[in-house]
Amino acid sequence: METKTVKQKPLFEGEPIYSMWLRELLRFIAMPSRILATFASPFTWLVLLGVPLSQVFPTGDIQSMFGGLTFFAFIVPGVLSMGLLFGGTNSGVTVLWDKEFGFLKEVMVAPVRRTSLMIGRSLGALTIALIQAVVTIAVALVLGIWLGFRIISIAGFILAVCFMIITFFAFVGFGLTLGAMIEETEGFMTIIRMIEFPMFFLSGALLPLNMIEGIPVLYQLQFINPLTYGVDGIRGFLTGANFLPLWLDITVIVAFALLFLFLGAYKFSRMEVD
Amino acid sequence: MDDVIEVHQLTKKFGDFTAVDHIDFTVRRGEIFGFVGPNGAGKSTTIKMLTTMLHPTSGSARICGYDVAKESDEVRRHIGIVFQDRSSDDYLTGRQNLDFHARMYGMSKSDREEKMEEVLDLLELKGKENIRLRILPEGVRRRFEVARGFMTRPDVVFLDEPTIGFDIKARMDLWNQIKTAREKEGVTVSLTTHFIEEANYLCDRVAIIDKARIVALDTPRNLKEAVGTDLISVQIAEGGERRAAFIEKVKELDWVKRVEEYSNSILLNAESGEGRVADLIDFADAHGFVITSIDEHEPSLEDVFLHFTGRTIREAEGEGTGMRPGRIVGEM
Ligand SMILES: Nc1ncnc2c1ncn2[C@@H]1O[C@H](COP(=O)(O)OP(=O)(O)O)[C@@H](O)[C@H]1O
Ligand SMILES: [Mg+2]
Repeated sequence: METKTVKQKPLFEGEPIYSMWLRELLRFIAMPSRILATFASPFTWLVLLGVPLSQVFPTGDIQSMFGGLTFFAFIVPGVLSMGLLFGGTNSGVTVLWDKEFGFLKEVMVAPVRRTSLMIGRSLGALTIALIQAVVTIAVALVLGIWLGFRIISIAGFILAVCFMIITFFAFVGFGLTLGAMIEETEGFMTIIRMIEFPMFFLSGALLPLNMIEGIPVLYQLQFINPLTYGVDGIRGFLTGANFLPLWLDITVIVAFALLFLFLGAYKFSRMEVD
Repeated sequence: MDDVIEVHQLTKKFGDFTAVDHIDFTVRRGEIFGFVGPNGAGKSTTIKMLTTMLHPTSGSARICGYDVAKESDEVRRHIGIVFQDRSSDDYLTGRQNLDFHARMYGMSKSDREEKMEEVLDLLELKGKENIRLRILPEGVRRRFEVARGFMTRPDVVFLDEPTIGFDIKARMDLWNQIKTAREKEGVTVSLTTHFIEEANYLCDRVAIIDKARIVALDTPRNLKEAVGTDLISVQIAEGGERRAAFIEKVKELDWVKRVEEYSNSILLNAESGEGRVADLIDFADAHGFVITSIDEHEPSLEDVFLHFTGRTIREAEGEGTGMRPGRIVGEM
């Protein structure tokens, strides 16, 4: 009788995580339309929305409404947060795609922890989201020479990036949970968009939170929207013009990230491959 | 340990429906073992349990000594799987897919590269490895998936309907490639198919599975011998009582060993000899029966299926339609 050796899976599986990360990037490179969308989107929002609307909200007294920022500087964190919301949620949700196209089976039967699969995948999407964020900030800084956007400090920038990473993972967990719950690819993307866009518009990304104080329900909805805290935090770290206390932004985003990553990981670990 | 796959009373239920019903079998090292049966017989469900994708409802299975339910990770390290449905990333090239797979199984860089060359060679994929799968024809993609199954030097490779959707040429090629792979790698191969000819050509032993149960298991040769030495299938013009009378009558012929009645043909199991068909026609004539079709052949696995289940494999596939396509002599 042969003696059996049962190998324990290591806690940290570097190679599988790297493989998943690499696969995300290879896929990204393989889809020119995605590359284009990733780089074009910051331009669309900043140039086509930010520049014209800056003319509607001229500098001067009105700036107090935007926490002392110009309108352009005000929406830069909003545009950044949108990239995180869409990128993160999509990354979670596209697990469904892998299921639909059969690839999930291939990874699920590998002798690898499911959490490693998830981590690698999310890190791939994070890399792309961060590239997009850097492009956004670069474009904003250039236009900001005329339209009044600048970063308060290097420390602020670094903290903003860290905060953006947590926010991103919060939405990965959110997307993963949604994906595992809906389990139906038909019309799925439409449902996701129907959730994402209201979240974006009611987050203070484009307009100050208190501007709609007079509108009941919509005003209150902003405060149960996790993205609100993401936007405010990024804005606070980058420009110093946060509306809410930063500790609150951090607490809410970290809590939201933990909750949904846990829920998403749980759903994912129980997902039937077949 | 010579039995690499040991299956004992393996059962899978989906709710009240039993997809695999208390099956037993063992597969020896180096064997090509085939599951043959119509669509819906339970072949994929069996393979999914053996490859740890589905939990057995009851019974047990061991791969290389490891229990599929309790030691699934160990099982996974020892097997290669070619799924019935597509399972590659279409946006990546064949090489990227293979490389991804090998990394997931912890193969070193030099090992990956060496093995990559080997499987590309084996499945005749050289020159296609840097093309994105989505622009390659279905058959080539499939071959990359088969290649992937052999990539990590598994002890057992499972292939679920490996040649589905292939034309005859591609099918023959893949069969030979699988045979070569078995020889070169010394691996055990377990495959499912509903192409009788595939099992006949490729498998050392075959389990015939129908309605969730194994109805026969042996080498193709022994299975065919169990059916008889020579088969004559006859259709006569009349049905009902006349048909029954004909069946009674032919039993009187001394070279007829057994008569089996199917929905619209009668199968005579004959002792080998010259001029059986002519004899039978004369015999029918003499007793006033009209033969509308007659054909003599050596038993094939098709007949084996018919013999053990009472239906042809095509009847079983189109269950409910009541259609019985005529037998085509010499069809692959
Ligand atoms: N997940 C499932 N839920 C319910 N029934 C299933 C499931 N998977 C397979 N079946 C049923 O089990 C039977 C056997 O299926 P399968 O093993 O795929 O057959 P085969 O591979 O031999 O064609 C079929 O009737 C199929 O409908
Ligand atoms: Mg099947």
